[in-house]
Amino acid sequence: MRKVKVSPIEQIVVHLILIIWLLISVIPFAWMLSTSFKGPGEIFIFPPRWIPKNPTLKNYKDLFQQMNFGRPFLNSVVVSLSTTFLSVLLATMAGYGFAKFNFKNKNTLFLLVLGTVMVPGQITMIPVFLLLTKLSLLNTYWGLILPAIANAFNIFFMRQFISGIPDELIEAAKMDGANEGWIFFKVIIPLSKPAMAAITIFTFTGSWNNFLWPLIIATDESMYTLPVAVSVLGGQYTENIAMQMAGSVIVILPLIIVFLFTQKYFIKGITFTGLKG
Amino acid sequence: MKTPLKAIITFIGPSIILLLIFMLIPIIVSLTLSFTDFNVFAIYNWSNASFIGFQNYINLMKDPLFWRALLNTLYALVVAMPLTIILALSFAALINREATYFKNFFKVSFYLPSITNTVAIAIVWSWMLNPDYGLINWFLGLLGIKGPNWLGDPAWAMPSVIMLVVWKAVGYNIILFIAGLQNIPDYLYEAAELDGASRFQQFLHVTIPSLRPTIFFVTVMTIIGYLQLFEEPYMLTGGGPLDSTLSIVLYLYRQGFRFFKLGYASSIAFVLFIMIFALTFIQMKVGKNIEA
Amino acid sequence: MKKRFTIFSILVLIVALGFGTTKITIWAMGEEAKSLDKLAQLFMEEYPEYEVNIQAIPWANAYDKILTGIAGRQVPDVAQMGTTWMAPFGSMGAFENLDPYVKNSKIVKEEAFFRGSWETGKVDGKLLGIPWYVDTRVLYYRTDLLSEVGCDHAPQDWDELYDVAKKLAQKGKYGITLYQPQDNYQILLPFVWQNGGDILDSKGNVIVDQPEFVEAFEYYTRFFTEKLAPLGGGGNLFQDFATGDTPMFFSGPWMVSMIREQIPQIEGKWNVALMPKKKTRTSFMGGSDLVIFKDSKNKEGAWKFIEFLSRPDIQVKWYQLVNSLPASIEAWNNPILQADPMIALFGEQLFDAKAPINRPEFQEISVSIDRRVEEAIYGRKTPEGAAKDLKKDIEKILR
Repeated sequence: MRKVKVSPIEQIVVHLILIIWLLISVIPFAWMLSTSFKGPGEIFIFPPRWIPKNPTLKNYKDLFQQMNFGRPFLNSVVVSLSTTFLSVLLATMAGYGFAKFNFKNKNTLFLLVLGTVMVPGQITMIPVFLLLTKLSLLNTYWGLILPAIANAFNIFFMRQFISGIPDELIEAAKMDGANEGWIFFKVIIPLSKPAMAAITIFTFTGSWNNFLWPLIIATDESMYTLPVAVSVLGGQYTENIAMQMAGSVIVILPLIIVFLFTQKYFIKGITFTGLKG
Repeated sequence: MKTPLKAIITFIGPSIILLLIFMLIPIIVSLTLSFTDFNVFAIYNWSNASFIGFQNYINLMKDPLFWRALLNTLYALVVAMPLTIILALSFAALINREATYFKNFFKVSFYLPSITNTVAIAIVWSWMLNPDYGLINWFLGLLGIKGPNWLGDPAWAMPSVIMLVVWKAVGYNIILFIAGLQNIPDYLYEAAELDGASRFQQFLHVTIPSLRPTIFFVTVMTIIGYLQLFEEPYMLTGGGPLDSTLSIVLYLYRQGFRFFKLGYASSIAFVLFIMIFALTFIQMKVGKNIEA
Repeated sequence: MKKRFTIFSILVLIVALGFGTTKITIWAMGEEAKSLDKLAQLFMEEYPEYEVNIQAIPWANAYDKILTGIAGRQVPDVAQMGTTWMAPFGSMGAFENLDPYVKNSKIVKEEAFFRGSWETGKVDGKLLGIPWYVDTRVLYYRTDLLSEVGCDHAPQDWDELYDVAKKLAQKGKYGITLYQPQDNYQILLPFVWQNGGDILDSKGNVIVDQPEFVEAFEYYTRFFTEKLAPLGGGGNLFQDFATGDTPMFFSGPWMVSMIREQIPQIEGKWNVALMPKKKTRTSFMGGSDLVIFKDSKNKEGAWKFIEFLSRPDIQVKWYQLVNSLPASIEAWNNPILQADPMIALFGEQLFDAKAPINRPEFQEISVSIDRRVEEAIYGRKTPEGAAKDLKKDIEKILR
C-alpha cells in the first residue's frame, strides 16, 4: 500500500466536505426513521420534531399484526438472492466475452444488448406479462426471477471493468495452456471482485425494492414480496404516513445489512505482482 | 486471434437468449403496436386494433405536449447529468483517499438515498420542499433567503425534481466510481510521483484517464436513465404545475396507462429510443477516437 | 339442541369445504381488502358452498395490475373499482353486463341506492358496476374563525362563501383552499354543476363555453387571482387548518377521522356543512363499485357475494369496520350512522351528489380540464379563454 503524506488542513477540509454530503444524504432518511416512531397528532407538527415527544412502537406493531411477514420476507429473500446470483454470474461471463473475446459482429451484438435498456420499461410491461402467461410462469418464483436475470446494465458495466484488465494477464495464462473457462475463474473473477461487488449491491437493491412486477405476477397473496405486502396497508385517501415510513424502514434494513456484508469485496482487486508496467 | 465458437456461446449465449425472450420480443411487439391505433377497446380484444402506418408518429410530431415534454426532459438531463457525475466522482475520490477515515461509514450513508423506496422518500421530499413547513425553506430562512414555493411554482418545480433525482443518483454512482478507482494499479501513481507530479496532477493525468471506461459507462447510463425520467416527477408533481415537469416517459405513461392509447404511447417510446440510441452511438464513436 | 346444531353446521361446513365448494376470487384495494376478509367470513357462514379468496392490491398500483390482468385475461371473479375507474376499465369490454342480474335480484335495485352513486356503475348506457360504498365532498370550516369575522353559520351560498373567504383572508393568511395538484377537476366540477352547467349536454355536445360553465369557472378562478386561496397547494392541509391559515376546504368523509386524529387540538372548533348553493348544492360523488369480469367462471357466486355486500345490514357492518359510507339508502336509517352528526351530514349531501359522465374518453378529458384550470388560476389565461381552449381540447378528444 502506498503511504501518502497529507496535511492536516487537507484532512479537515476533505472530511468537512464529506460530512456535509453525509448530512444531505441522511436527513431525509432520518426524518423517515423519526416519523416511523410518531403517533397521530405528531406527524404534521411544525416546527418538526426530530425526536418524537411520545415515541411509539405502534406503527411497527400494527404492521406486524396486520400483515403476515414470514412469507413475503421469504419470497423476497429467495427471489432477490437467486436473481442477484444468476445475474452477476451471467453478466460477468458476458462482460468478459464482450471485453476480451474476438469475434465478428461483436460490437453490433453488444449495441443490441445495450439497446434493450434504451426502451422505457413501461412500454414492454404488457407484452412481458402476456409472455409469462403463455409460459405458465404467473405466480411462480421463476416468473419473478427469469425476466430479471439478463441485465444489460450489468453486462455493460462488467464489460467496461474487464476491458481495464491488461491483456497481458490473459495472454500469459493462454501461454500456459489455459482455456477461456480457466481464465474466467482464475483470472477474471478474482480481478473483478470490486465490480462484481458493485453490481451485486445494485442488483440486490433493485430486486429487493422491485414491487410492480411481484404485484402483477402474483395471482394470490402467497407470492407477494416484502415491499408489496407493506404497500397494501393504507387506504385510497387515508394514507397513514407514519406506518408507511415504518414499512419502508423494515424494507431497507436488510439492504443495509447486505451492503455492509458486501463491503469487504471492495478491497483492492488488482495487485499487479510480477507484471511489468 | 479468434475465440472458439463454443466459448462464445457458453459465455455470451445465456445472456443473449434471455434478453431475446424477455426484452427483444416484447420490444418488437410494442414497436408493432406503434403502427396501430391500439387503444382502450383493443386491450381486452386485440383484434379491435388496426394498422394505421405512420399516423401515430405524424400525430406525435404535431403534438405540442410531446415537444414540451421533450424540452423538459432535455432541461433535466443537461442540468442533472454533469451535476451527478461531478459530485459522484469527487466524493468517490475523496472516500477512496488513503487517509480518509470512516470510509465504510461514508459509503453506506451516501448510498442510503439510492436504496430507499422511491414512494416513501418522495413523501419525505415533498415535505422538505413544502413552502411553509419544509426543511429547505426553513434553512434558507436562517440564511435570510425567502425560499420559493418549490413544487407549486412552474419555474421551481423542475429544479425540485432535479434535486431529488441527483440526490438519489449520486450515491449509486459513487459505488461505480469506487469500483473503477480500485481498478487503477498503484504503479501508475508511483511512476507519476517519481516524475514529481502533485496529487492534483496525478488526479488529472492518472486517475481520470484510467477511469475512462467507468466514466464512459456512467455517462452513457446516466443519459439513458435521465432521458427516461419518470418516477420523481410522477411522485412529486404528476407533471405539473402547468406541465413544467412533464417528462417524455411521464407523457408516455399518461397516454398508454391512463388513456390506454398504447399505440400512441409506443410511438413515443420509439422516438425516445431513437434519440437515446443516437446519443449513445455518438458517444461510442467519440469515446473510441479519444482512446485511439 | 343448540350443541347438536353446531356440530351439524360444522359437519356441513367440512363436507362443503371438502367437496363442492366453489372458489370466488376477489381483488380489493388496500385497507379495504384487509377488512373485507371479515365480511367474507360472514358470507361463507351463510353460504358454505362458496370459498371466498381475497387478494389485496395496493391502491397506488392497482391501475397497472388491473390493466395487465385484463390484457392477459388473468382476472378474478369480482373486483373493487374506484368510481372514477369505471369509465376507463369499463370501456374495455372486460366487465359483465349486470342489467339481467339486477332484473332478477331482490336486494340490488336501482332505487335502493343513491342516484348519483348508481350512475357511477353505468358506462355507455350499460350497467357494469354495483355501488359498494360512497363518498362525497362537503365543506369543512373552522367555526371559531368564521364567527370572528361575523359569520356564525356555515356559508350557505356562493356569495356568502366568497365574502367569508375574503374576510378571512384579510384577517389571516387565506380564506379557503381549493386546489389539489392532481384531479383538480373534482373540485371545479361541483361548482359547474351547482350552476346548472356540465361538460357535455344530453346530446353529447361540448358545453364548456356556455355561460353556466364559464361563470362557475370564473367564480372558482377568482379565489386564486385575489389570493383568497393558496396557489400550488400551499403548506399542509391539516397544519393550515389547525393554525387557521386556510380555515375552509372541501373534502370527503375520510377527513373527519383524520382531523380528529392528526390535529386533536382544534376539537370542537370545526364543523362540516353542505356545499354552498347556487342553483343547487350538488357535490362530487365518489367511492367504489363492484364489478364481475366476463372471464369469470363463477358469475353466480360472484353475484351472490355482491348481493351480500349490498344488503343494508352488511353495509352498516362495513361502515363500522372501515368508516366507509354506505351506498344503500336504507342503511342510513340505522342509528349507528346517525350517531355522529358530521357523518349524518354526508348522508344528507349524498342525495345531491353527482359523478362525471362515464365515457371511455373521460380520463383524457379530465387531464385536459386540469391543464386548462391551471392556466387560468396561474393567470396565464382568462377563465373564458381557457374554457374556449378546453372546448377545442374536448372536441378533439371526442372526435
